[in-house]
Amino acid sequence: MPWSDGLSSYGRAASTGGYALAVVLAVSEIIILALALNPDVNADYRAYYIDRTTTCLNRDAVGSYTPGQTVSFRSDGAKQAAGMMVCGWSGPVADGTHSLGETSRLRLEIPSLRDGFTATLQMSAVIRPPQTIQRVMISVNGVRVHEVTLSSQDPTTISFAIPHAAFASAKVLEVTFDYRDGIPPSPAASKIYKRAIKLVSFRLDAG
Amino acid sequence: MAGSAIEPANSGSPSQILAPSPVETQLALGDMARANAGRRLCVTAVAVPLLFMISGLVIRYAAFHSVSAVSGFEAYARALCRWDCAWYVDISEHGYERFPIPGQSNVGRWGFFPLYPMLVTTLRFAFPFPTILIATITSMACSYAACLVAWPLLEKNMRAYTLYCAFLLSGPFSFHFTTFLTEPLFVFLTSCVFLALKRSNYLAAGVSCALLSATRVVGVLAVFATVIRMFEQHRQQGGSAVSFPRWVLGRPDMLVAIFISPAGLFAYMLFLYLTVGDGFAFLHVQRAFGRVAGDPLLFLWDGLAAVPTKGWLPTAPQWSALAAIIGLILSVVLAARRRYGAALFCASSIILPLITNLASMIRYVIGLAPLMMLIAELLSVSKLTYLVTLALFLSACYFMTVAWIGGYLALV
Repeated sequence: MPWSDGLSSYGRAASTGGYALAVVLAVSEIIILALALNPDVNADYRAYYIDRTTTCLNRDAVGSYTPGQTVSFRSDGAKQAAGMMVCGWSGPVADGTHSLGETSRLRLEIPSLRDGFTATLQMSAVIRPPQTIQRVMISVNGVRVHEVTLSSQDPTTISFAIPHAAFASAKVLEVTFDYRDGIPPSPAASKIYKRAIKLVSFRLDAG
Repeated sequence: MAGSAIEPANSGSPSQILAPSPVETQLALGDMARANAGRRLCVTAVAVPLLFMISGLVIRYAAFHSVSAVSGFEAYARALCRWDCAWYVDISEHGYERFPIPGQSNVGRWGFFPLYPMLVTTLRFAFPFPTILIATITSMACSYAACLVAWPLLEKNMRAYTLYCAFLLSGPFSFHFTTFLTEPLFVFLTSCVFLALKRSNYLAAGVSCALLSATRVVGVLAVFATVIRMFEQHRQQGGSAVSFPRWVLGRPDMLVAIFISPAGLFAYMLFLYLTVGDGFAFLHVQRAFGRVAGDPLLFLWDGLAAVPTKGWLPTAPQWSALAAIIGLILSVVLAARRRYGAALFCASSIILPLITNLASMIRYVIGLAPLMMLIAELLSVSKLTYLVTLALFLSACYFMTVAWIGGYLALV
């Protein structure tokens, strides 16, 4: 076989190899792109990171709680409060725990009861003119139980009934706070940084 | 030999015939002188960044020493490890999390690209030292290597080269290039891509771009510079714009270069899909860092409008907005100098993060090697600007390092 023929066959092999490699790369990238466009994630991940339908990323947090006990959301009650905070809260400070984003959640274990609860909360509004009120909708296990409008930066005590039907036989009580008037730190800031209320204390009484 | 075309002009005895003529001797001496000059130039090119690496270390250490009670290289390395550096240390030591993120956090490490932490992890297996020490030394080595690659890119312009080396290793932002951030590797790989393109070595450019895309997401944008260089070559050979796609399809090396360029990014996406279930987790996690997509012009305006409440020094958002604007202007200058690929790469690497906000904008702009080389070229035009800039770089290194250690927000 002449030398030039060998070289030419080598060139053809290199060329074919090059095309094959390019095709393998292109196909691999298309497959990876297709996988990325169809994420295999749970509903919590999807809601927070992909669909952005919530600012509150659900977490596996359940606090222990005994009815009749007042939980402080100031720094002095940080340990117990931290166990109940699922998402949408910043760390506790001296005068309470700031809400973060458009929704906050608390989750606590409760004993089996035949009646409902009376909830007593101390909350203050985050006010920055022209925003002078904070409307808060409170739901328990997905059932709306109360709506309050806060207009003071000083703690306000609110009390409302949680009907037994709201949690029925559930052993876990999830309290959701939805804020309609949260204030972002700047006009261009993300919704996850909105501030609406400061929770000071939380209490449930049976009956 | 009589009548031979190569017969020496001063024919005589055999020994005299073999002896070189004065003209040949002069030519040979000229060749030797050129070779020596070339060698001297090469030695200088190697020595200049080494000198600035040492001077930068001394200046930054002095700045660290002026604000710190402790001393020693490890303490210095830890002090310079600010902001994102801590994330890279975590990735290097613990890898990436799955979901849900341990510690009930919503900020995963997925937003930080893997190549540089992987490199440091690999080196840590060989050298059993603290991560930050290995990373600091690796960063300095990468920045040094980036300088060497810049030598041919700057057309062996010694003044521009000196300024560029001073900027990377002893300049006002040299802490970015000498701590555990992606900038040192990013600048090095960017320079490799553009050097390969300058030499029309598309496969080398493609492989460098693949590594670049695994270093930072904007690295993948260098593929457009590769395509533009291919187009330029095609046009230089007399090809028309219409025949360009067919020309590329006929060149398997070019096709491989194009498709291998984003391979680093795709490899990371596959990793994220297999571990988190979301190949775009690096994008989606930006929400937890407070980055939201918006109008870049609005972000720029907001930044510029954030006037200081007291004093005259611009605020951090103002510095960031100015950095973005200067970066975009310099990209236009690159385009005006017909460096279209570099211009597109730089402009898009600024605009892409600008879509979310101004955070880290200064770091992103100074990490664009073609822009910094352009500045070095522009400032080295006259001896006066060259000397003044050099002096400014070296003196600013001290004060900016103090500001970085102090957590000045614009430098994040």
